[in-house]
Amino acid sequence: MSATNEMAPPDARTAVAARAFGLSKVYGEGDAAVRALDDVSVDFERARYTAIMGPSGSGKSTLLHCMAGLDTPTSGQVFIGDVDLTMLSEKALTLLRRRSVGFVFQAYNLVPTLTAAENITLPLDIAGDDPDGAWFDVVVDAVGIRDRLSHRPAELSGGQQQRVAGARALVTRPEIVFADEPTGNLDSRSGHEILEFLRSAVKDHGQTIVMVTHDASAASFADRIVFLGDGKVVDEMLEPTTERILDRLKSLEG
Amino acid sequence: MFRAAIRSLLARKVRLILTGLAIVLGVGFMAGTFVLTDTMTRAFNDLVDTGYAPIDVLVRSSNAFTAQTSSLEERDPMPESVLKDVDAVPGVAKANGDVVGYAQIVDPKTGKAIGTFGPPTAASGWYQGNGFTLRPGGSPPQGPDQTVIDAASAKTHDIAVGDRVQILFEGPPREFEVVGLAGFGDSDSLFGATWAMFDLATAQDVLGKQGKLDTISVVAEPGVSAVALQRSISEVLPKGVEAVTQATVVSEAQDQISTGLGFLRTAFLVFAFVSLFVGAFIIFNTFAIILAQRTRELALFRALGASGRQVMTSVLVEAFVIGVVSSAIGVLAGIGIAILLKGALNATGFDIPASGTVILARTIVVSLIVGTLVTMIAAFVPARRAARVAPIEALREAQDRPGRSLRFRIVAGLVVLVLGVAPLLYGLFGTPSNGLQLVGLGVALTFVGVAMLTPLIARPVAAAIGLPVRLTGVPGKLGRENSMRNPRRTAATASALMIGLGLVVFVAVFGASAKASTTAVLERTLKADFILISPTLTGFSTSAAEDARAVPGVDTVSQVRQAEAKIEGGTAFVTGLDPGTFPVVSEVDAVQGRVEDLANPNSIAVFDDTARENDWTVGDTIPVEFPATGSTSLRVVAIYSENGLIGDYAISLDTFDVNVANVLDVFVLIKADEGSDVAAVQADLEKALSPYPNIEVDDQAGFRDRYATLISQVLNLISALLLFAVIIALFGVMNTLYLSIYERTRELGLLRAVGLTRRQTRSMVRWEAVIVSVMGALFGVVIGIAFGWALQQALEPEGFSELGIPGGQLAVYVLLAAILGVLFAIFPARRAAKLNVLEAISYE
Repeated sequence: MSATNEMAPPDARTAVAARAFGLSKVYGEGDAAVRALDDVSVDFERARYTAIMGPSGSGKSTLLHCMAGLDTPTSGQVFIGDVDLTMLSEKALTLLRRRSVGFVFQAYNLVPTLTAAENITLPLDIAGDDPDGAWFDVVVDAVGIRDRLSHRPAELSGGQQQRVAGARALVTRPEIVFADEPTGNLDSRSGHEILEFLRSAVKDHGQTIVMVTHDASAASFADRIVFLGDGKVVDEMLEPTTERILDRLKSLEG
Repeated sequence: MFRAAIRSLLARKVRLILTGLAIVLGVGFMAGTFVLTDTMTRAFNDLVDTGYAPIDVLVRSSNAFTAQTSSLEERDPMPESVLKDVDAVPGVAKANGDVVGYAQIVDPKTGKAIGTFGPPTAASGWYQGNGFTLRPGGSPPQGPDQTVIDAASAKTHDIAVGDRVQILFEGPPREFEVVGLAGFGDSDSLFGATWAMFDLATAQDVLGKQGKLDTISVVAEPGVSAVALQRSISEVLPKGVEAVTQATVVSEAQDQISTGLGFLRTAFLVFAFVSLFVGAFIIFNTFAIILAQRTRELALFRALGASGRQVMTSVLVEAFVIGVVSSAIGVLAGIGIAILLKGALNATGFDIPASGTVILARTIVVSLIVGTLVTMIAAFVPARRAARVAPIEALREAQDRPGRSLRFRIVAGLVVLVLGVAPLLYGLFGTPSNGLQLVGLGVALTFVGVAMLTPLIARPVAAAIGLPVRLTGVPGKLGRENSMRNPRRTAATASALMIGLGLVVFVAVFGASAKASTTAVLERTLKADFILISPTLTGFSTSAAEDARAVPGVDTVSQVRQAEAKIEGGTAFVTGLDPGTFPVVSEVDAVQGRVEDLANPNSIAVFDDTARENDWTVGDTIPVEFPATGSTSLRVVAIYSENGLIGDYAISLDTFDVNVANVLDVFVLIKADEGSDVAAVQADLEKALSPYPNIEVDDQAGFRDRYATLISQVLNLISALLLFAVIIALFGVMNTLYLSIYERTRELGLLRAVGLTRRQTRSMVRWEAVIVSVMGALFGVVIGIAFGWALQQALEPEGFSELGIPGGQLAVYVLLAAILGVLFAIFPARRAAKLNVLEAISYE
């Protein structure tokens, strides 16, 4: 894996790949209103691995969805690079997702009727672009899925499926990759493989990754952890370790 | 994205097949119709070509126009002397005179007259070059005792050379020895017509044309052109007689063939379109379900950056592929269907030459285009819905997404409904030139509008239908709840059945109304005790009435005839009756003038609605154009209000005979003496009429029943053709259920895990099918009655005074729908029961 960064950021000078500014998301109305996010402002630095943690109901998934342009906030702004997502039309958002954003979900990442290789190149096919052969090889070898490229998802194990998803997320060399509980359905070894891959994408290729997780050991792979509670940012931690995370989680719950 | 579309198609082959089946059947029917009528056209045209090939010029009486409905040509005969004049024309190598007229051969074994609905029964002279070719083992007829008959009649009724047969004519019947059998060209008969041939003198005698000829066929000397000969012959012909080239005769015949087959083709195509319409509903439903199931996959595409348009296009590509492949298979199926239809028509008496099947490029192209278009149009709305899937749904559980707002649906549905009802009513009650197309369009849109609105009432209706089902136990209760849970889905499935059954019910209601109206008319107007009529409703010899008069106990015998004429530019039917005797046997109810005045020469009586439309009153003169004699002026002497038996125009028998070439009675009304034993008189009548096997003696009840049976037969034929559409609809029910099993895999797994047995699972699916089918049938009954009522109201002036609703029959249909629903649910039910419980509950 070479150390060169081969990305095309819209503005290479900003150190922030994405940010939320005064983000709020409210479901329902009146007495039944639920504030999933309450005036959240947070930056995600470029070429960094950030994890978002919190108990269920803390709004971590909602934050991720808003950051990724999958959900629209009730108020506030979301930026990817210099682009304000809340100002974009449906069509522009779609194009943004095509080029600038990568996704790894907890489950159902792959199209069941396509092979692993086709799933990996799917975003490029949608855009009508040809895959960069050299980069494709890099990504495929990084996740270690080369021997299964012609297999359908049904023929792959959970870990292998997530690895294919990971390769797909990076094949377009996006601005930022959003991962929503990527290890949620996996055993610990497969989970670690994915997390290793994600971290090396950051370290070796300067990729930016934002991951939501409830698993402390998964979060320990990140450079920085943002803790959410009741829709607000309640804490941050740099250089995390599993023990420190567990301690912090306990104290937050207490 | 193409690749994904194709892959997803191939992934689920069973779904693909079920979806495509609807189109295959509809396109098959359409292609089959084209192939059949094209084949028949080519065969008949070839036959006509061969038949007329030997002659160059034909001499015949000119006619004012060609009547579409008479089986025999309506032309007055010409004097025999014309033959001498024609023969003398230079360039004529041979001239043969001929006569032609009504005749029916009696089957010697059964004693019944040969002849069915459709092809004519005729007799003519025999000569070399009349188109018929003698089969080996026979000889041409000579003398008053010999006849040659068509080979088809001989084959069907086991008549051989040497047998004696009785033959009926306009005049008295006679017996002959069969000395030969003849075919026409390659065929055993001329389009299924029965034909008896005699030597010219005998033919003139039996057809009542002594000293006259109907046609002269002329063969030209070598080197003489037909056109030149036609011109020179025309110069020696008297007024009212014309000469035409063989080419003209052939093209006239071919025009008539194409008009006749055109009607047949249109009729069949209507049914084909009905099938395709139902198929469209199935496609719509199937795509909606499949796309709902693929929500997460589609959302994933959207999350990865596919635009809504790309998603919609990929769905339409799937629809395109399904459409093209199904249509192609449909064309092949259609050829098979054509062969079946040909057999069916042969069975009803038409004799279609066994020539090769004609498959025109037009058939293939139109079938492919229509089938594909229908599929794509049907898939359009589901495709658009798929395009609107939001990317975030990739993260959600597959659930039933909330549809568009209720208000939108109500408004849209009402708009479409109005768009449908308006042309329908206008087409029925207004008098537009393209009424049929307007009605067809109106019906289609009305169905769509109703289908859009039925989801609003689907839930309460399903609940109501399911009330008794609930009492059968847990599976019934679950089945009922399943049918209530997604009213849009349930209504869409039921809609396909609603259309098929709606049309069947419409036909049944219309038929019942026709029967009721006919009965009402007859009860109101018929005073006769007996009616003489031919079972095939064709005319019969007038001497039968003479023989009836001689029967003791018979008081009045009144003959009725019918002919086609042109009045006020349109085709009309004119009835000939005896003004003296008719009012005795039937109510006429003259509102102006007197029917008895028809005895005055050149008089006519008119139905009051018709008179009002044309602003006629007693004393007016109206021009009436008869095919054989041209235009004649008739004076209106009466206006009557009961037109059930005699139609809109009536003239005296004398006026009729003067203007019509083929004089046959169409029925004869007989009143017995007061106080006589009616049964005895009937027996005596039957004995007196035994020489006429083609005539039956009906009493009043029998006559009413005869019409009722006739109507039933036509209805059954139409219903059978509509059955196609119903079957397609039932396949749709099966399809929907099958797909919904996949959708509810998790839930089914849960039910099984918690203790529902396999049998109970199957039962639950079957109950759901029953409820949906019954719902579709009930909707169909309602809309069918509505359409039937509309048509009956529109045709009230034509005599459809009563609305009949065959309750028993309709109840049977609903029951049948329920049973068939269960049958078609067997396959999905088994699928549901076979689910592996563990896999099901972890199904993603």
